[in-house]
Amino acid sequence: MGSLFRSEEMTLCQLFLQSDAAYACVSELGEMGLVQFKDLNPDVNAFQRKFVNEIMRCEEMERKLRYIEKELKKDKLKIPDSDSNPKAPAPKEMIDLEATFEKIESELREVNTNAEALKRNYLELTELKEVLTKTQTFFREYGVGEQGHGHHNVVEDAQHALVPEERVGSVQLGFIAGVIPREKVPAFERMLWFACRGNVFLRQDEIMQALEDPHSGDAIHKSVFIVFFQGEQLKARVRKICEGFRATLYPCPETAQERMDMLRGVTTRLEDLEIVLKQTKDHRYRVLLNAQKEIHNWIIKVKKIKAIYHTLNMCSFEHSRNNLIAECWAPAKVLEEVQAALRHGQEMSGSSVPNILHKMSTKDIPPTYFMTNRFTKVFQSIVHAYGVAGYREVNPALYTIISFPFLFAVMFGDTGHGFIMFLFGLWMVVSEKKLDQKKNDNEIFKMMFGGRYIILLMGLFSLYTGLIYNDIFSKSLNLFGSSWKFNYTQETLDGSFSLQMKPEDIFDDATTGAYPLGLDPVWQASINKITFTNSFKMKLSVIMGVLQMASGVLLSVFNHLHFKHYSFVLVQFVPEILFLLCIFGYLLALIFFKWLTINAHCASCAPSLLIHFINMFLYKYEEPANINGTVPAFHCDNMGPFGNYSQFEMKCTGQTVFYPHQKEIQTALLLVAVLCIPILLLVKPFLLRAQHNAKMQRKAGLGARSHEHLVSSEVLPGQEPGPAESQKTGIELSGLSASEVDISTSVSINGGRGDAVMTMEEEEEGDAEAEFDTGEVFVGQAIHTIEYCLGCVSHTASYLRLWALSLAHAQLSEVLWNMLFRMGLKMDLPYVGSILVFACFGAFAVLTIAVLLVMEGLSAFLHALRLHWVEFQSKFYHGDGYLFDPFNFKEQMDPTLDDQ
Amino acid sequence: MMNYQDMYFNIDHGYLEGLVRGFKSGILKKGDYLNLVQCETLEDLKLHLQSTDYGNFLANEPSPLSVSTIDDKLKEKLVIEFNHLRNHCLEPLATFLDYITYSYMIDNIILLITGTLRQRPISELIPKCHPLGSFEQMEAIHIASTPAELYNAVLVDTPLAPYFMDCISEQDLDELNIEIIRNTLYKAYLEDFHQFCQSLGGATMESMCEALAFEADRRAFIITINSFGTELTKEDRAKLYPRCGKLYPDGLGLLGRADDYDQVRGVADSYAEYKELFDGAGNNVGDKTLEDKFFEHEVKQMKNSFMMQFQFGVFYAYVKLKEQENRNIVWIAECVAQRHRAKIDSYIEIF
Repeated sequence: MGSLFRSEEMTLCQLFLQSDAAYACVSELGEMGLVQFKDLNPDVNAFQRKFVNEIMRCEEMERKLRYIEKELKKDKLKIPDSDSNPKAPAPKEMIDLEATFEKIESELREVNTNAEALKRNYLELTELKEVLTKTQTFFREYGVGEQGHGHHNVVEDAQHALVPEERVGSVQLGFIAGVIPREKVPAFERMLWFACRGNVFLRQDEIMQALEDPHSGDAIHKSVFIVFFQGEQLKARVRKICEGFRATLYPCPETAQERMDMLRGVTTRLEDLEIVLKQTKDHRYRVLLNAQKEIHNWIIKVKKIKAIYHTLNMCSFEHSRNNLIAECWAPAKVLEEVQAALRHGQEMSGSSVPNILHKMSTKDIPPTYFMTNRFTKVFQSIVHAYGVAGYREVNPALYTIISFPFLFAVMFGDTGHGFIMFLFGLWMVVSEKKLDQKKNDNEIFKMMFGGRYIILLMGLFSLYTGLIYNDIFSKSLNLFGSSWKFNYTQETLDGSFSLQMKPEDIFDDATTGAYPLGLDPVWQASINKITFTNSFKMKLSVIMGVLQMASGVLLSVFNHLHFKHYSFVLVQFVPEILFLLCIFGYLLALIFFKWLTINAHCASCAPSLLIHFINMFLYKYEEPANINGTVPAFHCDNMGPFGNYSQFEMKCTGQTVFYPHQKEIQTALLLVAVLCIPILLLVKPFLLRAQHNAKMQRKAGLGARSHEHLVSSEVLPGQEPGPAESQKTGIELSGLSASEVDISTSVSINGGRGDAVMTMEEEEEGDAEAEFDTGEVFVGQAIHTIEYCLGCVSHTASYLRLWALSLAHAQLSEVLWNMLFRMGLKMDLPYVGSILVFACFGAFAVLTIAVLLVMEGLSAFLHALRLHWVEFQSKFYHGDGYLFDPFNFKEQMDPTLDDQ
Repeated sequence: MMNYQDMYFNIDHGYLEGLVRGFKSGILKKGDYLNLVQCETLEDLKLHLQSTDYGNFLANEPSPLSVSTIDDKLKEKLVIEFNHLRNHCLEPLATFLDYITYSYMIDNIILLITGTLRQRPISELIPKCHPLGSFEQMEAIHIASTPAELYNAVLVDTPLAPYFMDCISEQDLDELNIEIIRNTLYKAYLEDFHQFCQSLGGATMESMCEALAFEADRRAFIITINSFGTELTKEDRAKLYPRCGKLYPDGLGLLGRADDYDQVRGVADSYAEYKELFDGAGNNVGDKTLEDKFFEHEVKQMKNSFMMQFQFGVFYAYVKLKEQENRNIVWIAECVAQRHRAKIDSYIEIF
């Protein structure tokens, strides 16, 4: 279980893989999924990399698999789902796989071409059959010629149309019969008319049954036509047009007897063909069935091979030692496992030379990696949706686990609704495995399912806040008995519309004390419930807001300490926290002070928090009452029935001071807060500049010698610097920074002249990084200061959304209860009433779920999200890291091929 | 109403304009071409195209690849995109897009007639036609032996019919007449399209009239240059010039009297943008041909068309740019396939 407070420590490793073992090693690493490979040849084109041939072979295999898949789909065979996870096959087996696919593909293609030819034949015969039957009806349509009263046969019609009256009988009309796609008929007819100047006679009839296209298997609709014409020239022209419209022409005998004979012949041939077609289909089905069993594994295997070669393409290749060099990020604590995987890979490939894992140090910022479990994952993803934590930065997700559902619940405080939500979350958590396997495609459900633990917690916390607000479906629970005891008689109650319950008289403070959990249920019935809860919830919101912001500012200390910016604690954290506490921390103190000191006796003259807080900035104070030469501080004990002074004497207004010397203390606090601003604004940039200048001076002193040395080692490219010499380079460079030393030594293991060049680059990078732009730093700090100081004010106000949403939720649920359900209950109708109540409850339940649970829930979720992202995280969280993206076969497990 | 045209543009055409601008960003960049020309085989080319917007459009093609498959697939992709636009558009964009297809229809008709004249079977010719310009009656074109027949039997129902009116008088379908028919059709088409764009008004008129004017002038130049040494008379030639370009009327008059290349050049000298093109072109090795210069200018103009919002010019520009890109890829593919790398660089960069 990894720590959530900071991301995992990552190490940059260099892997020296023997070229014959590299494949197996990468395969092992992929199964493990804990290392992220760096692309060492970013400038090399995709097709110029080393393993491009293998990748192309994989693509060819994928193409074949896609073909097989397509054929499977054509026969409505499904790709079976299974959990089997075959390992990536060895490169040797790739040839077998290729051969298998090749065989299946060619077999399928052969079967398909055979089937296509047969189908084509079948189609032609069916069409011919149709032509024969249709022409038969054409010729016979209106009764046979002899009967001739009012009926005509087609030939006569044609003759009538085409041949001038006087020559009837002397001219023999020719005809052509064929089949044409139905949608082309109108254009065909028009074209015939235009091209032959109206000298043809066309009859057509639709073929009712849909024919099958032999190639694609789609249904096509066709029509039979017969064209009559006169003379050879027209015949040639008609034939050309038919060809142009892709009409198939069939020989059609002239006499009915011949047509009948032909029809009989065609029918028998069709029957024979059907048997053959069925056999072909069976054969094809058998071939596909075999493929279906294996295709899931095949797809995964091929995808894995492809992924491995893609990874190998990112390595650099060293010809002299037949090595592949890979660089990768891995969490420091799993290095052992990585090494084990490498050993395993080596054993598998039967290589005798061990693979070497070499730790490197680097200035590159490592990727951020949190080992999350299924519970913490969703909270981490909430934080990452805002920005990926920087490497080893304090991770707000840890706090989010509790604070997020809590803030949500403050806005969603209703025991009833919370319970429903809790049950829903519980159901998802309990049947986690079952739901996970189902592979539901519903995107909304997937999202909910992903957040099941957060829903569970949100429900649970809402249950609790609901108890505090004493709110359950907008009603209150009287669990412990109200502490407000009244003794009104029935007459008093009947006589007046509303009665005021004075706490002095009615609140039973002595015997029972305050209601033990949350609000007293008596408020539910009171008119001023909203006024009371508003005041309560607003104060609560501010308290929680300031506490959360203060804890955010506190967390920034951990960041400063961890990144060794000790001075930042003084110049950044201290002014920040002082500013926040002097203004808003003081407000909190006043709130608690007021809660503790003001009681029912002097409530009517309690000083107003808001006015006080505003006056603190306006520097406006009212002279306290001077009674008999003394100035008594405002205190409840001084007032009322037992106190010494009356309300009038105290001059008690909203501006009465809380305590003596309030003016001096408030002035001091305000001064401290204002003073913090220039400190925050100016000190840090000057400090940074001073630090930078000191560093540059040190560097200038050391720089000359190391440069000299680098140049000398570059001049002698052929000569390999010995270990001693490179060690010396390291020592001489050591003044600059520790990391550079490590690089220069580790690189020198490769030998050759590469190292000199690389070290040069390293140093150039270092220089570029050291560039100090005073103006930019000042502007940056100014922005930060303005943002922080204004942010404190606006963010505190922003936390009032906790109150606002909670109010809205309570009011909405009250409306639903009063306007819907209660109406049903109020109706005094015998029998019919039960139906109405049933209907009312239906509407009430549906609206409760849809509006209060789903919509209100989403809105509260959104606001909680905002409070975390903006108000909380802006105090300490940079979120400028990048995610650890390990090479993992998990993506390859999905047996779907990327389609076009 | 005219003034508010831009305001309502997005209601009807906003989605498609967004789409076409998205398509445009998929057009290959300079870097892609630099990579493409390094390819050793067509397989390499395929691999590189995979990393661009083309994705795996060749993935289902069994090796070995041929240039014609690549060409077909490129065209297919353009046609799919174009048809998607065409199927989702509203008037007047629908008519506008139809106008774009007419030029392909003209090319197809001419291709088919020339083919039949040379006794090629129609089934061999059909696959060579551009799929954007195919129409129902196309395949029956070979029944016609005179222009009048061609008109009466085949074209009368197509949108090209009105353009054909001027050609009916021609007697025979021979090589020269076919060329005349082609150019007459084009002339009528360009003038009609020009007029249509003018009737649309607004930014569409601005960008499209510019583009069509250039197209018209280019045709006028090319007709003139190609006519030297043929039996085409000057009067006939002058009839073929489309009259919607910048050359009209003075330039066309001068062109009509031109006798050799230098005189054509003289005409171009009076027009700043054409002068530049003629100056840049040469026939020596390493020089760009006039045709290439024209293409380059077209590409530039089409790219500019994307600078304007709320107009249809982007659709026209996209088709033209894509066509140029297809030419480029096919050119590079040819060079790679024939191992003739000397001229592989004479593609025309788009972005």
